[in-house]
Amino acid sequence: MKSDVKINKVETDLLILGGGSAGLWAAHRFNELMPERKVTIVDKGPQDWGGLMTMAGGDFEAVLPPDTVDEWLTDLVYYFDGLCDQPLMEALLARSADRMRDYERFGCEFFHTPDGRLKSVPQRGLPHVKLYPAQQKGRGGELMAKSLVARLKDAGVTRMGRIMLTDYLVRDGRVVGAVGFHCRTGEAYIFKAGAVIAATGMGGWKTSYGKNTPTGEGMQMAFEAGAELQDLEFCRVWNMPRLFAWEGQTHLFPLGARFVNRLGENFMSRYSPILGPNTDPHFTTIGMALEIRAGRGPIIFDVSPLRGEDMILLKPQTGWQKLNYDKLCKLGLDLFKDNTEWVPQMTVSHGGIRAGIDGSTAVAGLFAAGTARSLEPGVYAGGFALMTTAVTGHMVGESAAAWLKGADAAPALNEGEAMARLDRAYAPLGRTGADTLTPKEVLTRLQAAVFPYDVSIVKNGPALTKALAEIERIKAEELPRMAAADSHYLLKLHEVNAIAFVSELYVRASLERKETRAGHFREDYPHMDPAGPAWFFIRHGADGSPEFVRERVPLEKWKVPLTRCYQDNFNFVEPRDAAKA
Amino acid sequence: MIKSIDRDTCIGCGACVRICPLDTLRMGEDDKACIAYPDDCMTCFLCERACPSGAVDVDPLREVLPPTFPDVPVELGGGRA
Ligand SMILES: Cc1cc2nc3c(=O)[nH]c(=O)nc-3n(C[C@H](O)[C@H](O)[C@H](O)COP(=O)(O)OP(=O)(O)OC[C@H]3O[C@@H](n4cnc5c(N)ncnc54)[C@H](O)[C@@H]3O)c2cc1C
Ligand code: SF4
Ligand code: SF4
Repeated sequence: MKSDVKINKVETDLLILGGGSAGLWAAHRFNELMPERKVTIVDKGPQDWGGLMTMAGGDFEAVLPPDTVDEWLTDLVYYFDGLCDQPLMEALLARSADRMRDYERFGCEFFHTPDGRLKSVPQRGLPHVKLYPAQQKGRGGELMAKSLVARLKDAGVTRMGRIMLTDYLVRDGRVVGAVGFHCRTGEAYIFKAGAVIAATGMGGWKTSYGKNTPTGEGMQMAFEAGAELQDLEFCRVWNMPRLFAWEGQTHLFPLGARFVNRLGENFMSRYSPILGPNTDPHFTTIGMALEIRAGRGPIIFDVSPLRGEDMILLKPQTGWQKLNYDKLCKLGLDLFKDNTEWVPQMTVSHGGIRAGIDGSTAVAGLFAAGTARSLEPGVYAGGFALMTTAVTGHMVGESAAAWLKGADAAPALNEGEAMARLDRAYAPLGRTGADTLTPKEVLTRLQAAVFPYDVSIVKNGPALTKALAEIERIKAEELPRMAAADSHYLLKLHEVNAIAFVSELYVRASLERKETRAGHFREDYPHMDPAGPAWFFIRHGADGSPEFVRERVPLEKWKVPLTRCYQDNFNFVEPRDAAKA
Repeated sequence: MIKSIDRDTCIGCGACVRICPLDTLRMGEDDKACIAYPDDCMTCFLCERACPSGAVDVDPLREVLPPTFPDVPVELGGGRA
């Protein structure tokens, strides 16, 4: 790091990395419990922007009467093919209605039918799980973010934007702070904290669609600090229009929309006569991929079965979605009138930090909340993220407060270590030479390695092995050559480093899971492992490299037995028994 | 992707520069907003919506990415040109 870089030192009781839904809720709850303590939220994006929630429609899942937590839990055990941490999920579901009521109290309205009842939309053909849409379709998430930020402002919570944190500082096995830099001023930051919450969001591959900020540094930093990760084999493959972004399909399918192939066939009804098109995009994109591979693409979105009265819920009314829709209509791309082509696209990783119900990780003083911790095995129901990020954020605010009450004062920072970490973070800044690469060049090659359908959707061993070789080559030959012309590009460069980290673990974990289950489809292992559901955790091996640990799901100890699996609704391949016969 | 910022209409309030999650926009030396780093724009429209003077124009078409089906022709739903 150049000697003229200004170094800012900030002390705080609680440091929260990430001001998205989870981070804002954590700050809110901690502040309610310990208003005398200093809370600091640091975000690599704009101060107070609210993370992905700002772009979210505002659909929210909550267990409201007459539904019960046990009914929803039973749905999710089935939906996740058994890969459901039942005590954790039960705790989240039990708190979901309270967070929805909080939002209502904060002035965020949910959609009511003309007879005054809350509108709900059932999800993925599940008996009970459903979402409650925001009143202002297109601005619901934005209003939620604003309502939380307003509270934090009033409470005097410190919020800082445009600062990317690159490393945690660990002393005697406890996280005591973090370092990073401001992407506009280029100044360095050293934070000292009593407790730290990682609310840094998911890993991902910068596929636009509102998802260029989740890139996985939070996971990488936590792993380097000693935390464990899990569920890296699950990624979110989304179906999206080839040319533009569209938000709101979680409403369209339950109400009758469907994809058709070049021959006009509603192919999902062939792959799942029971569920048809009304399922998770994970399964829809497998169907799309098989159709396109068989030469029956392109895939067209067919909204003709929708009823006119449902259109009010579907056509964007406000926010970015309305602006987007109006502009697209002018280009002759009216989703409700014109035939639009849709494609499957890998977007973000469902992997995350492994954490207990209270958000605690393997490292003392480090807690994880929201999508930074892994919560679902690659299948997802609309409204789940806003609920789980609110609930886990709220819970972790409580855990951090309880922990700080009992913990000794944080030990002093090791300044030498902080400076060494900063030196490493700044090293690519101003790097020159004929062989340097821009972060974008390397990003494009990482995307090209993992996007192909046989790596991202219908996975198979040889394709994954080839992708791994390419990622290892990029890591060895290209990451060290990346250069940042200024502090803006230094941020992008660290994001690309994290994308490489997540890409490698995604492929390794996908090779490790030799079965098909929940959001992981292996064409060469097309059935569920008869040994039952298990998780793969990732921890540091003896040589420091990632080591996978298989842990069986202890179904015998838990409430809901695994009597049926969602996977069994699909016939992408021959059933196991037919294959044997 | 971000398309243009009309310098004549921009009143230099900085709202778009403050809100862009990807740090694509910056204030120029003439105190007007400019597209400084277009390569990571995610077509989120936050800048255009924040602009009080209608100076920002975001094109709704998203960035072209490496293909999911490198070997299938575009007309059959793939990514091979
Ligand atoms: C267009 C769109 C629509 C959606 N609609 C819905 C919906 O209707 N219902 C629903 O339930 N879900 C929806 N979602 C998903 C939901 O909004 C997100 O999953 C959720 O808000 C994630 O919250 P989070 O706090 O875990 O992560 P994020 O919102 O990603 O927040 C993480 C924050 O951490 C910051 N950060 C990351 N790394 C660092 C670092 N190293 N240093 C400093 N800061 C860092 C990021 O800038 C970010 O602000 C939608 C998502 C999108 C994109
Ligand atoms: S569209 Fe979004 S990412 Fe692009 S410049 Fe505007 S605010 Fe930034
Ligand atoms: S928001 Fe509009 S007026 Fe304000 S700086 Fe940006 S372009 Fe100019």
